[in-house]
Amino acid sequence: MTLSTTYLLRVMALEEWRLHGRMFGGKRFAMFPVFVAAVAAGTAAFFALANADTGLLIAGLHLVVATLGLQVGTVGLVGRDALEDLLGETTLLLFSARTLPVEPKKLLVAFLVKDVAYYAVLFLLPLTVGLVPLVVMADVPAARLPLLFLTSVGMFALSVAASFALVGIHTRSRTASIALVVAVVAALLLDGSRVLAVTPYGLLADIRPLTVAGSLLLPVFLGVVGVVAFRFDRRTPSRTAANRFGWLHRKLGGADEQGLLAKSLLDVVRSSGGLWKVVFSQGLVFAVLAVLLAFLPDVVPVRPEPGLTIAAVLALGSFTTYNWLCQFDDTAFYLRHPVSLSAVFRAKLLGFCLLALPSGLAFLGLGAVVFGTGTMAVGIAVFAPLCLYVFGVTAYVAGLEPTELLFDTPVFAGFTLAMMVVLIPLVVAAIAFTLYPTGLALGSVGYASLSGLAGLGLYRRAGTRWEGRALDGTD
Amino acid sequence: MAAIRTRELSKRYGDVVALDSLSLTVDDGECYGFLGPNGAGKSTTINILTGQLVPDDGEARVAGVDPVETPVEARRHVGILPESGRPPSFLTVREYFEFAAATRDIEEATLTERVDRWAERLEFAHKLDTLCTDLSQGERQKVLITQAFLHEPRVVFIDEPLTNLDPIMQERVKRFFETYRDAGNTLFLSTHFVETAAEVCTQVGILNRGRLLEELRPGGIDGDALLDQFFASVEEDVGEAELQRTP
Repeated sequence: MTLSTTYLLRVMALEEWRLHGRMFGGKRFAMFPVFVAAVAAGTAAFFALANADTGLLIAGLHLVVATLGLQVGTVGLVGRDALEDLLGETTLLLFSARTLPVEPKKLLVAFLVKDVAYYAVLFLLPLTVGLVPLVVMADVPAARLPLLFLTSVGMFALSVAASFALVGIHTRSRTASIALVVAVVAALLLDGSRVLAVTPYGLLADIRPLTVAGSLLLPVFLGVVGVVAFRFDRRTPSRTAANRFGWLHRKLGGADEQGLLAKSLLDVVRSSGGLWKVVFSQGLVFAVLAVLLAFLPDVVPVRPEPGLTIAAVLALGSFTTYNWLCQFDDTAFYLRHPVSLSAVFRAKLLGFCLLALPSGLAFLGLGAVVFGTGTMAVGIAVFAPLCLYVFGVTAYVAGLEPTELLFDTPVFAGFTLAMMVVLIPLVVAAIAFTLYPTGLALGSVGYASLSGLAGLGLYRRAGTRWEGRALDGTD
Repeated sequence: MAAIRTRELSKRYGDVVALDSLSLTVDDGECYGFLGPNGAGKSTTINILTGQLVPDDGEARVAGVDPVETPVEARRHVGILPESGRPPSFLTVREYFEFAAATRDIEEATLTERVDRWAERLEFAHKLDTLCTDLSQGERQKVLITQAFLHEPRVVFIDEPLTNLDPIMQERVKRFFETYRDAGNTLFLSTHFVETAAEVCTQVGILNRGRLLEELRPGGIDGDALLDQFFASVEEDVGEAELQRTP
């Protein structure tokens, strides 16, 4: 009997649903589309109320969708280790080509089509529904929403196919895949608007035969390239490394009596992207904010104080550093060794301070060159306590498995609320800064310091909380 | 002297009874085999005795330490070989042993000598500088076995030790268990391999539905006889359970 593609699609969609269900909080994952729609609606309402350029929001939405597509395409296909680190021993039906009598290319096609359909329904549809405030409160016609849904699905399909083509080529030639990335980036930098014109995003500007053909054919073409090029049976050699643990452990001295900090730091340094991923992620946030703050007066009628704004967003983004520090171990691992979880969280805090603070402060220093020393002095003063708050909240709410728990919708909503309680007053202070500069600067520093103390309190309770849950068997 | 002693240990997960008043004693120098079907409560018992889980009721003492009151101290004194577990992805094998040693204050010279001995015994010297994430399943098992014995603990808890090992390595590990036991140490071995239990263990406990059904000393009986005894005990218990459910 030959398996039909329809049957494969159905089984793979079920598998994806269960994977996300496990990753993002069981049946509560069903609330995820509602949460996406709510966040999109909130952002759309903010843009409408601020009388901002709705085109900027729509462009941003397509950028987010394209980024997600690139990530979805690569994790599913090459990130088996990433999946295992996140979820434990996980094998997808996609990887069964060697053990089941199913044509590998058929599995690949089913996997790609399933991904696009799955995300279109559960993520892109709610995202589009969330744009309704733009119709009610701004000048976007209702008839444009279906087109927005189609273009976002198209951009998602295009980016999934692009990353898949890249992965496929990478399995044949690393050099060719790097050359392709360089060529695409160069084309986008040289004449981005012409490139975008033949993508689904281009349909928003003008529906012409060339745009329609490009939107339909480009994802299919890239998908075919990926399917033809992809090799299932490649093997990667074992990686070795010089012994650094002992040296690092000795250097850290009394700060790391049990080697917990040395282990966490080596995890970050040796995983994909190395230490640069910390610098790059903060640099990206800084660059986007710097550009927005420089040009924001053209888009919205207010310009928040740069130091306070950049410091607050960089501190919020330091969550990713916490995630990297925890990504390669879990509670069960530490429970097999004679260490307390309080000691583990202490090591994570020290690692967090060693990685997130110097890099963030360096970018704030760079900000002083761009925006002036005065405004960045406030940013520098609030940055460290805000980071401590982000660390404390994340450790307390999510424990050592932040990726899993933060996408459990109610827990994520709690985390978001905890962040908003601190960040919204600071953003308001940043907007109103020119009215009472001294008072708002001192108030912001005071408020951030109090937040830091709250974060310290939460961090101190995190070890006891998570150890108690693990020992009870309720973790 | 008792290396492991439990009294009326009980644990429930919601409506499921994982352990039901488990009382047992294992003396120094014994290898205690823990046999039972899937879900019998073997891993729950090991997790409680190694300070990884708190019971709902009952008492336990392992190597002179109370694993419920002082779980970290209990883990310091015992060795743990988990049924499913991986060494840390981005440490090399040698670095993982250094990490395990750092958590237990083992001197560097002692560690080096022990790692070399284990690398020779289980033939993984050529993998000492490999990242753990790139090890095969069998190599990971060798690393996990080594870390369980690295501090030469008085009591070692072992869950399915021979998984993924080739027959030569299986024999080598079994002979090591016997030597370690004969030196006066205690092994608590949970396994589905009844033949291994018959071969290595001085005492066997049969567990089903969280209850200790029977304890016996397999000295002199072969694997088949022990397997028959295992089936008889479990089937009798299942029969009793069905009778209890019949109105």
